[in-house]
Amino acid sequence: MGGIEIGTAETVVFWVLGPIALAGALGMVLARNAVHSALFLVNTMLALGVFYVVQEAPFLGAVQIIVYTGAIMILFLFVLMLVGRDSSDSVVETLRGQRVAATVLGIGFAGLVGAGIARATEGMVVTGLEGVQGGEGGAADGNIEAIAGLLFTRYLLAFEVTSALLITAAVGAMVLAHIEREPGSRLTQKERSRARFLTSDHPQTLPGPGVYARANSIAAPGRLPDGSPAEASYATGVEPQVVEELPPGDPAGDGRDPGAGRGHGPDAALGTTRGVTR
Amino acid sequence: MIEAPDLSLSALSPFLFVFGAALVGVLVESFAPRHVRQPTQVALALVGTVGGFACTLLLAGRGEVTAAGALAVDGAGLFLQATIAGLGALSVLLFAERALDPARSAFVASAAVPAGSPRDRELLTDERVQTEVYPLATFAVGGMMLFVAANDLLVMFIALEVLSLPLYLICGLSRRRRLLSQEAAVKYFLLGAFASAFFLYGLALVYGATGTVQLAGIRQSVTDDGTGTLLVLGLGLLVVGLMFKASVAPFHTWTPDVYQGAPTPVTAFMAACTKVAAFGAILRLLYVAFGTADWTWRPLVYGIAIVSMVVGAVLGLTQTDVKRMLAYSSIAHAGFLLTGVIGLDAGTGSGLAATLFYLLAYGLTTVGAFAVVTLVRDGDGEATALAQWAGLARRSPLTAAIMTFLLLALAGIPLTSGFTGKFAVFRAAIEVGAWPLAVVALVTSAVAGFFYLRLVVLMYFSEPAEDGPSVGVPGLPTTIVLAVTVAATLVLGVVPGSVLDLADGAARLVG
Repeated sequence: MGGIEIGTAETVVFWVLGPIALAGALGMVLARNAVHSALFLVNTMLALGVFYVVQEAPFLGAVQIIVYTGAIMILFLFVLMLVGRDSSDSVVETLRGQRVAATVLGIGFAGLVGAGIARATEGMVVTGLEGVQGGEGGAADGNIEAIAGLLFTRYLLAFEVTSALLITAAVGAMVLAHIEREPGSRLTQKERSRARFLTSDHPQTLPGPGVYARANSIAAPGRLPDGSPAEASYATGVEPQVVEELPPGDPAGDGRDPGAGRGHGPDAALGTTRGVTR
Repeated sequence: MIEAPDLSLSALSPFLFVFGAALVGVLVESFAPRHVRQPTQVALALVGTVGGFACTLLLAGRGEVTAAGALAVDGAGLFLQATIAGLGALSVLLFAERALDPARSAFVASAAVPAGSPRDRELLTDERVQTEVYPLATFAVGGMMLFVAANDLLVMFIALEVLSLPLYLICGLSRRRRLLSQEAAVKYFLLGAFASAFFLYGLALVYGATGTVQLAGIRQSVTDDGTGTLLVLGLGLLVVGLMFKASVAPFHTWTPDVYQGAPTPVTAFMAACTKVAAFGAILRLLYVAFGTADWTWRPLVYGIAIVSMVVGAVLGLTQTDVKRMLAYSSIAHAGFLLTGVIGLDAGTGSGLAATLFYLLAYGLTTVGAFAVVTLVRDGDGEATALAQWAGLARRSPLTAAIMTFLLLALAGIPLTSGFTGKFAVFRAAIEVGAWPLAVVALVTSAVAGFFYLRLVVLMYFSEPAEDGPSVGVPGLPTTIVLAVTVAATLVLGVVPGSVLDLADGAARLVG
């Protein structure tokens, strides 16, 4: 079997992206934050996509990047964001020594399989796509034709049965996530609005909170024309805030704005200093 | 220009029936009004499974490879497919039982409603049922039938997923003790995904070593080039993935929890059908792909057979719950089945036929045993604690007698199918010189017999508790299941000749 030379560029790509892919995989497992995990996985998948392209499989590389990195990982992120990204692992061990045992066994297993594969592939001649799948209709002729050929001939059954898998997944998602509501168990917009007009004094929206120079929150009630707080604008579940008045103006009342705090400087006018002697 | 592959529709007919019924079931779920769904779904699932069963019987005697070498139609495959379809139909009958639970089903009304919420309590007595279980179970049956006929590791992997995914789902749909059921589903899903990853890794390594995923191609490569490290490593990982599904110790840790948490009809389905499917795939992989290099797997299978028998029998002794006890019994039986797998000797051994017979006998008995478990109930649903079964014979002599008979069959007492099955697999093991394994199997059979008999003694010779469980009067579906399983267990024990001959005649694998 005639071996082929691996070009310098390919070697460089491998040694640059290999560590990145590995770091991404380790980061995915070790990251505490689920979103970081997902992003590490994106990293690894992108690196794998480039590897596929380098290995003369441009179609697979493109699919890897578009489908896995583009679609599936983004869906992962969506789900993580929807579920709440702050749900972190519990550090309580229900089984004593489980983490240590898992780490030791995991590293041991990885070592065993890694050493086995390294031993088995030692001194293997590099053949290239032409040597393995060349010839009429082979992958070396064109990726897309070869994949199409295989999908509709040798892997036809596998391809068809995958549909059962996808249907099961869709049905399963519906079963576990979709709460069926009885028709009529929820009021429509029209019914709600009708009920509001018939029963309440406030068919319109309630007044909003007030806007003040020194308070800007939902707790600050609006004012009625006579200056008293409008009870309808109280936020539910929040204690209404008593808004501090501006310091009164000159009691002498010389016709100037009572709120200006004349003679006490800007600090007093804004109320930022308290207890300033008049 | 792509040449169309040879595709024998007649060979595919069992799958077309089963998957077709499942697909129609999904459509019914979407379009039919709620009150007609339950009867329609039951009918569809029965048509699918019984139709699949009939098709496999019509195909009997065929021996060919179709769908571009991806599907093997042979005696062993058809025998197992018929077993799976038949047991699947019995399980569907158990699913359909409406007379036992006051809420008229073992399945939850709405799986998406959080367990314990006010809405959940409201729905507890609602007659609504999540009828998606029927198409899902039918999909699982289809996946299992494909699993035992897959002549290609890739198809085998996809079939593994097709059979597992619905099972993960329906494990979590129990009406009562919902949190336990959901925990079981999550556990099964996580560990199952892990096992699938092992299988896939093994598949990749085998492909790397031989350049093909077809079992015949692997066999050719093994014969021509011998076995390298890569191939043996791949085989090991494939076996781990399959043994997980067959719940063979030491890959059994999910079994007791999942069997206990899942709704009992689903447990019956899993215990019977999944085991048949997993062993079908194990037999096909080991005999067809690696039959000429049996030194690679024989020590491995030998070892885990012993571990499984010992773990199942010894830990079964300590259980206080009937469903967990039956789970450990299933682990022990997986070990007994592996003694049959060992009994392959260059095509002349009787191991294959013995294992086929054992799978049929064990599947029928297990479905029956779990069907009895669904009958014994108290206010909270099924009464599965062993203590609650005390004095059951006083309350319902018939139920206790049926359970006793099925337990004796599981223990392997003569005149039951269990004895015939055990005799066949042990003889197969001894024929190839694996007598130490047969000795271990006999000893562990005796140990396992103890915990079956303990339940029998409890039922007959204990005083019934004051507030003990009552025995429900089963409706037609469960009655049919009990009648069929008890009759089959008896017939296969007393006059097993014709079925043994059938298994012998079917014991042929193409590839």
